[in-house]
Amino acid sequence: MKKKSCTCTADGSSLFSGEGFSRRRFLRIAGTGVVASYFADVLSPALLHGATGSAPPLLGTARNCIFIFLSGGPSQVDMWDLKEGPWTPADLAPTSYGEVRWPQGLLPRTAQHLSKLAIIRTGMAWAAVHPLAQKWAQIARNPSGATGGFAPHIGAVVSLETQARRGLNDVLPGFIALNGTSAGAGYFPASHAPFRVQPSQNGLAALSHPDGAARLEERWNLLRLLDTERAEDSLGRDATDMEVFYDQAKTLVDTPGINQIFTFTAAERTRYGSTGFGDSLVVARNLVASDRGARFIQVTLGGWDHHDNIYNRAANRSLYAQCRSLDDGLPALLADLSTMPGADSGKTLLDETLVVILGEFGRTVGPLSQNGGRDHYLRMSVAMAGGGVRGGTIIGRTDEVGDRAVEHGWSGKRDVRPEDITATIYSALGIDYTIVRPDDPLGRGFEYVPFAKDGTYKPVDELFF
Amino acid sequence: MRQGRILAVGAISLALAAEIAGQSANCSFNPDSGLSPREIWSRLSSQADLVAPLARRRAAQPRPEPVVLRNFVDTEIFGKMERDGIRWTVPSSDEEFLRRVSLDLTGQIPTAEKVKQFLADTSAGKRDRLIDELLASEEFVDRWTLWLGDHVQMVQISDNVPMGRSGRDAYYTWMRDSFRAARPYDQMVRELITGRGLSHTSGPANYWVRQIQTNGPLHDTWDNLSARTGDMFLGLPLECVSCHSGLGHLEAVNTGLVPRTRTEFWKNAAFFATDAHRFQEGANLEIEWLVEPNRQPARAQYSLNTTSGNKTPRQPGSDGKNVVDPAFFLSGEQPREGEGRREAYARILTAHPQFARATVNYIWRQIFGLGIVEPADSFDLLRQDTATLVPGATLQPTHPELLTKLANHFVANGYNIRTLLRTIVQSSAYQLSSYYTPGPWNELWTPYYARHYPRRMLAESVIDAIIRVTGVNTQFQVANSNLTITRAMQLQDPTEGRGSFRPLLDAFGRGDRDSTARSRDGSIVQALVMLNDPFVTTRIRATSGTNVDRILRTSQVPATIVEELYIATLSRRPSTAERVAAVAYLQSGDLARRTEDLQYALLNRLQFLYN
Repeated sequence: MKKKSCTCTADGSSLFSGEGFSRRRFLRIAGTGVVASYFADVLSPALLHGATGSAPPLLGTARNCIFIFLSGGPSQVDMWDLKEGPWTPADLAPTSYGEVRWPQGLLPRTAQHLSKLAIIRTGMAWAAVHPLAQKWAQIARNPSGATGGFAPHIGAVVSLETQARRGLNDVLPGFIALNGTSAGAGYFPASHAPFRVQPSQNGLAALSHPDGAARLEERWNLLRLLDTERAEDSLGRDATDMEVFYDQAKTLVDTPGINQIFTFTAAERTRYGSTGFGDSLVVARNLVASDRGARFIQVTLGGWDHHDNIYNRAANRSLYAQCRSLDDGLPALLADLSTMPGADSGKTLLDETLVVILGEFGRTVGPLSQNGGRDHYLRMSVAMAGGGVRGGTIIGRTDEVGDRAVEHGWSGKRDVRPEDITATIYSALGIDYTIVRPDDPLGRGFEYVPFAKDGTYKPVDELFF
Repeated sequence: MRQGRILAVGAISLALAAEIAGQSANCSFNPDSGLSPREIWSRLSSQADLVAPLARRRAAQPRPEPVVLRNFVDTEIFGKMERDGIRWTVPSSDEEFLRRVSLDLTGQIPTAEKVKQFLADTSAGKRDRLIDELLASEEFVDRWTLWLGDHVQMVQISDNVPMGRSGRDAYYTWMRDSFRAARPYDQMVRELITGRGLSHTSGPANYWVRQIQTNGPLHDTWDNLSARTGDMFLGLPLECVSCHSGLGHLEAVNTGLVPRTRTEFWKNAAFFATDAHRFQEGANLEIEWLVEPNRQPARAQYSLNTTSGNKTPRQPGSDGKNVVDPAFFLSGEQPREGEGRREAYARILTAHPQFARATVNYIWRQIFGLGIVEPADSFDLLRQDTATLVPGATLQPTHPELLTKLANHFVANGYNIRTLLRTIVQSSAYQLSSYYTPGPWNELWTPYYARHYPRRMLAESVIDAIIRVTGVNTQFQVANSNLTITRAMQLQDPTEGRGSFRPLLDAFGRGDRDSTARSRDGSIVQALVMLNDPFVTTRIRATSGTNVDRILRTSQVPATIVEELYIATLSRRPSTAERVAAVAYLQSGDLARRTEDLQYALLNRLQFLYN
């Protein structure tokens, strides 16, 4: 079968408008023989659809996404898809909630929010190597593949796509990464790069001037007085862009309440579990509650690589310890989001925020390894809540050990891949996941979700109301 | 037709330049020819008019700034602007030139003393002498080791494989030594392509290590090596044909690759197929790799039997042959009798003209921010010459003759990167001002190089410049390393650099030499750290050990303080208006406090970051 992967032609007949691309990026495009104009501020959806065909029906049920990444590969058969056997320690305390068997001993508080959670049990990773699979899950494609080298993070795509919806109040970057992320803006403009934050109780150091706001004001005014390059193009477009970033930064510094978003009380910290992960969840909550332009927030919790001592409570990072962090933070987040008002009247923040919880892959099923652990495995589970997700939904069923899919449980009639998860996130946020951007460095067409245009990957619509 | 005209004008301009210079056209031009720039221009334009069509001549009005054609770079750059009626800007001032060429060649801004000395120097040829001084400096070695490290993606941890700190250090040391010794670039590349041995001791062996693909058969590693040598050393996106042939895929991407097949890619990869890698525990409990001839001869060949890994299955073609023999992708050339395959590949690749063309384009891009061919790693070989264009296609290089001349120059001078850089930065084209004075700027003139387009400093340069301006050092500690690091520009890879400068270093986009390329894009975070990070705000204080303190101890005269701060921070004297405004500011309150503010403001000027 002949695969057509490009939407532009060598003679430059495909017209599109770039999106605030830098001068050099524009010229790089021009160098490939493709005609581009960066003068338009925002990519025109009409033109894009002209190039890619009509948009598929989109869910459009969420305004924000909190992407909780359990890096290392959590053991799905001890958590979301619990399978019991002689290996199961008694204190996992398997408990039934309807048809769900749940590790009450590991995730007791999360159990109280099962009515909000949907679980995909037939998830399947592509790679069993950490960095590769981690990035795969965050860029929705093979990092070793052709577009993997410059692919933006899902969050950067969300940032770019939600740019047109930004209002005056939206002073925060669209993509915020708390505690790390595996990818950045890729070839997208730097304004969509993750705004990387290491949450701390005192907020962001760089958001306040060490010598005081008044002193900064004096200095800023002096800078304005002396910097004749400002407000003209005398140093070129890149410098002009930087001037915009300076102004945005100053706005963040000056806007009352911004640092408050990144700050939290000791009581809140305790309620979320007194961990770095918990801190990040508080900030994630604050970010969506503030409704100031941050639409994709990544929170990472590492330490799930349980090759040994998975059930050994005494071990430094046993499954118990890991689940404790998760079980302290996640329920607090879900509880808060579900009681805080959303942007639209009558909706809660949880209604408007899609919470996605996944790792890069799962772990081996059945009895433990010789080291008392579980090794890398492609089978995995994915949990979601909010943003239109129908709580209590279970997608797919695996066999008695949690290996083979007995029932896929969705229209795809196959395992759910990271690409499908990404399509789901995009669709929930009202983003056309079939878009093929013609502006990538190779000029081969950058697919938001590879092969989604052909229907190969698609949203798991069955998760939603 | 168009090509022919370019040649005609180019030849005339070059002849004229030679005549004026009184020396051979390829040598650097003596600026003291006795002719004024205007005379030079008038003689040049009168002859150029003989071949320029009337319409072009009209378009060229009003008359451009005079310019001295110093070498073939200028003949090509100004010749094209002249033909297309593009007006170029004025030459750079000494201040502008000093800062720019220092940053481009060494990654460092000049010291205040150097600025004063250079500005005071009225002798002829001082720019050329400065260039030679910078090329001979240790900072030059730092800067270009960083370039090569970026180029071959030297990093201790990547998605594919851990090179480890010890392997990375061996690699880094090899690079530094090579640049310090001014070893020919073709020789360096041959060593990289043939690198074998233990990765903690053999620097070049890490070129292989970086391309190891652990989640697939050895073929995946060989393919990586084939594809990466393609884009790094030939500027060709061979990756495209590593999964599928060009036909039906690459028509819109690369016309030169359309007729090329995956089999041809395999033949190129087969140059690596005799070798394999194994790992063992090395120093510091790190993985150490051994790259050597495969101990299982049966597997030391590119056999078409793979169904796993990162590539679509490799299956035999219609000829039924199950093993692919090595043949160079661009010429089909094969190893000589008795020649090792990797040695053959290294020899054939570096002798091919495309190696020099790709390399000079990469280097040009470092200096001008824009390649003559863009993307620099995606040459379309059918779009280099009008004779080979497919219908509807356009030439890829903006300056085809220039690219060829640069490549020939590079080869003729023994692949010496310093010589190439000297020629480029000696040109009047490079030495144009960043400011466009003839009128409003049009972005479409950027690829003409009608002005020197300002670029943001590299992340490492930002750190080093702040330290140099403020006179306050920092510790550059690297764990388990014998190397002494005194500048951010010397950090071996982007995983290094723990300390108070880390937030700035990361914010300014040094990339990860893996999936995130180095970027000169700006960001909000960059502005935030420049405005508020203690790395900046503590260094501007009038406390013991800072440059602000040193200046205040020397003089309490506002005009002197202003002058000193401008020279140290922006490598130039203040304009009259700036001096008046800054002096008034210093006089408006507590002098020490106001001096701190002035230092802060100058560090936050766009001119500090963009040169």
